[in-house]
Amino acid sequence: MRRIPLTLAALSVIAFSVFPVYWMVVTAFKPTRDIQADTPQFLPLHPTLEHFETAINSDGFGLFWRNSLLVSLGAVLLSLVVALLAAFAVARMRWRGRKAFILMVFIAQMAPWEALLIPMFIIARDTGMLDKLSMLTLIYFMGTLPFTIVTLRGFLAAIPEELEEAAQMDGASRAAAFRKVVFPLLAPGLMSTSLFGFITAWNEFAFANALIIKNQDDRTLPVWLSSFSNVFGTDWGATMAAATLFMLPVLLIFLILQRRVTSGIIAGAVKG
Amino acid sequence: MVTQAPERPVATAVPPPSRRRRALPALWPYLLVIPTVAGTAYLLFYPLIRSVIISFQHFRTGELIRGGAAFVGLDNYYDALGSAEFWAVVRRTLVWTAINVVLIMVISTLIALMVARLGKKLRLAVLAGLVLTWATPVLAATTIFQWLFQSKLGVVNWLLTSIGFAQFDGYTWFADGTSTFAIMVLLVVWQSVPFAALTLYAGLTTIPGELFEAAKIDGATQKQVFRDVTFPMLRPLFGLITSLEIIWVFKCFAQIWAISQGGPDGATTTLPVYAFQVAQSLHKYDLGSAISTLTVLILLAVLIPHLRRMYKHEGEGR
Amino acid sequence: MAPRFLAAAAVLALAAGLTACGSSSTESTAPEAPAATALTVWIMRDSMSETLLTNFERDFEAAHQGVTLDVQIQEWDGIGQKVTSALASNDAPDVIEVGNTQVAEYAASGGVKDLTDKVTELQGADWLPGLADPGKIDNKQFGVPWYAANRVVIYNKDLFGKAGVTPPTTRDEWIDVTTKLNADGTQGIYLPGQNWYTLAGFIWDEGGDLALNEGGTWKGGLDTPQALAGIDFYKKLQALGEGPKDSDEANPPQADVFAKGDVAQLISAPGGAVAIEKANPDLAGKLGFFPIPGKTADTPGAVFTGGSDLIVPEASKNPDLAYEVVKALAGEKFQTAMATEMSYVPNRVSLGGVLTSEGAAAMAKGAANGHATPNSANWAAVEAKNVIKEFMTTYLTGTDGAAEAAKASQVIADILNTKS
Repeated sequence: MRRIPLTLAALSVIAFSVFPVYWMVVTAFKPTRDIQADTPQFLPLHPTLEHFETAINSDGFGLFWRNSLLVSLGAVLLSLVVALLAAFAVARMRWRGRKAFILMVFIAQMAPWEALLIPMFIIARDTGMLDKLSMLTLIYFMGTLPFTIVTLRGFLAAIPEELEEAAQMDGASRAAAFRKVVFPLLAPGLMSTSLFGFITAWNEFAFANALIIKNQDDRTLPVWLSSFSNVFGTDWGATMAAATLFMLPVLLIFLILQRRVTSGIIAGAVKG
Repeated sequence: MVTQAPERPVATAVPPPSRRRRALPALWPYLLVIPTVAGTAYLLFYPLIRSVIISFQHFRTGELIRGGAAFVGLDNYYDALGSAEFWAVVRRTLVWTAINVVLIMVISTLIALMVARLGKKLRLAVLAGLVLTWATPVLAATTIFQWLFQSKLGVVNWLLTSIGFAQFDGYTWFADGTSTFAIMVLLVVWQSVPFAALTLYAGLTTIPGELFEAAKIDGATQKQVFRDVTFPMLRPLFGLITSLEIIWVFKCFAQIWAISQGGPDGATTTLPVYAFQVAQSLHKYDLGSAISTLTVLILLAVLIPHLRRMYKHEGEGR
Repeated sequence: MAPRFLAAAAVLALAAGLTACGSSSTESTAPEAPAATALTVWIMRDSMSETLLTNFERDFEAAHQGVTLDVQIQEWDGIGQKVTSALASNDAPDVIEVGNTQVAEYAASGGVKDLTDKVTELQGADWLPGLADPGKIDNKQFGVPWYAANRVVIYNKDLFGKAGVTPPTTRDEWIDVTTKLNADGTQGIYLPGQNWYTLAGFIWDEGGDLALNEGGTWKGGLDTPQALAGIDFYKKLQALGEGPKDSDEANPPQADVFAKGDVAQLISAPGGAVAIEKANPDLAGKLGFFPIPGKTADTPGAVFTGGSDLIVPEASKNPDLAYEVVKALAGEKFQTAMATEMSYVPNRVSLGGVLTSEGAAAMAKGAANGHATPNSANWAAVEAKNVIKEFMTTYLTGTDGAAEAAKASQVIADILNTKS
């Protein structure tokens, strides 16, 4: 009996966190007639793919999807490699300037990115990097780097150093010990870190909108999504389908990695 | 970009004590951090410096296009600090940050405590729900919330009307400053709670169970247990999460811009939105840069206690 | 001489060959020897119908060997930032369409090519002043007039017939007719709360203005008795339909709403009828037009003369070819085709005779009482900050309208009085 309030609380937390996303997906699958019904239908009674067709058939959808994927993956991979090196230096070594370095990384998290739009535009223009996806990749790399370092360092610190040392005593080189012993233990950390780095880059709108000017084939999905509402306006079905498609890669990764990401986040957060 | 703050895991704080240090070539650590330092210098600090320089210049559309901006000393700062609007925005930003952070921390703590008491299946379901929310991209989330609160077909108005609040029939949420502000708070809290709750729950699981049992044997109420056992044990974690949430909520831009662009009538204009408006809509890049610089200074001032603690902590010579 | 001439020819040929290999960075400025050059043209959404666009591209490419046109459709949302970035870049689009309320700001920025020496060739003496003047600064012509339009009322003839009413000629009649229409599931008029150009017309009708220049200092005009009378009328009219109070005519696209068939009237440029018929072909032939009614039957309601200019950015890599595009778009042949297809007012007064359709006739009547937004380079900033739109929503949904008007007027004054 005493558990009933608790269960109710748990269910309402689940409802609150899941409902908005559920409602997006359900709306995307409903025919327009049902979307505009006076009484909302909480299940798609007449599921249809028409809104997805509208979204996918809109100009350049595949291209923008590819651009976003390229830029986001590029940024995440780059920042993972660079951050892993730095995190190793911070978590496993002692050196002068380490404290200042940590402080720098923390402060870098506070950077006012929107304010950098104009300087970044000028720098890109003066170095011939306007209208280039590579410039976006670099910016997103920088946008995710500080956070990736901080998190990976936490994961790394949680792995007992003795494990590495034991491997080295067995004759492995330091690099080999790292690869064989530490890396597998680090995998969940790498995964959750890259997932959230990916979301950050995947989402970015302001720079993508300002730095891709003439080369419209290089636009990314968020820019597409924002112009979508201009073109489709009232068509909430198509808009929700577009939002669903936008969220799709994240949803997929989430479904595949759900358990590991959850435990990874928890481990990383605590042991830091 | 870092515009969508409130959704990332974290772990800063203290490195573990490293017991036996092997002698490493002294150069290694520096080589390892070179890419980070170089990247940050060129892609963050250099533009940041350019932005600060702009804030001391007369820099409008003409200067952006033709170059040759003249230095005007502190004029832009006088302009910003002398306008009543700026101070109204500062006040609003502080209120915005306070409301959000308090709500996030209280709700997250409650959820964390609740999850710890749940059975295995329900616990997993709650955790999965939280991670899903956390993983929702900001742009998708803003689109969804606009749809939920749409005046004619929105499910929220339907719900409120059907439980008896007839005045919500066709209610235009985004026409009114207070209700738009409330929706923004709801959205940011919705997106931020998962991170804080998951982290706190993870922290709870590390507290040895004996402590709770001992407290119970002593006849402590649940409230007392929280005050005397849980909170003290988790104090560093609370500190860390609170300061991160402050940074993220304070800097929050994408959500507000996508939904209300700071409106209606400025009701959701916080400092980052204000700086963006001044720079990008009014083309006063100079004044916008000055406001951004001031924004960073204010944020630093708010966080100095935390930064000092962190710096000291890192220093403890282990 | 001969060897040097040959060498020069060889260099030219080489350059042409290189350009042909797809490097767009090569400067090929001579229009008589253009080699595979791609020109980028930015056109605003709904400025041209698809047919018009395809025909223009085909004709231009046929007339200019080796030139390909890449026409990119832009959204009005956030266009200011986009055009500014383009003007500031090193490789801008070659021709850009800009609204006549925004062209002054770009012209003043120094990023737009001075086309003064082409004015005669383009018969500039004949241009519509409402488009030519904002494009001119210090007697230099930066913007070339493209087309103008003003708003009319588009109505559904079936619904008018069913209600037994005819197009009104005065405001009072308009309210009566709309009230009659607004019954039995029909919306009398679809007027979203933020159609500020329409509001401006009502304010001009009362003798007021959006802002007033008093000896070099701007004062906001929304809190004058005239402006308050104008918005009161707007409120009365707006209530006779289900237009959302918190959005403008683009969100949702009002043509789509009208196309559903249960809306009796709509305020739009006559070109809006094209979009309506495209969304619902059943309505073809059932659309009528009348000028926005004024206070008395002998003067039509005041309207905002909207329109667009064309500019060539300084950063265009092919300024001479870009001018060719401008010349073609501003020339008689295209103007005539555009006026017929889109019901726009052509850029030259003497071409006005081509407007024969019902919609164009209604528009021409209204145009006699045309007005412009306050003449200031800062006006674009007032639009970008949505000052008037947000004021309208608070006025329509709130209680203390006069206080809101005073607040909005102050904001307008602050923006207009900023030194740039």
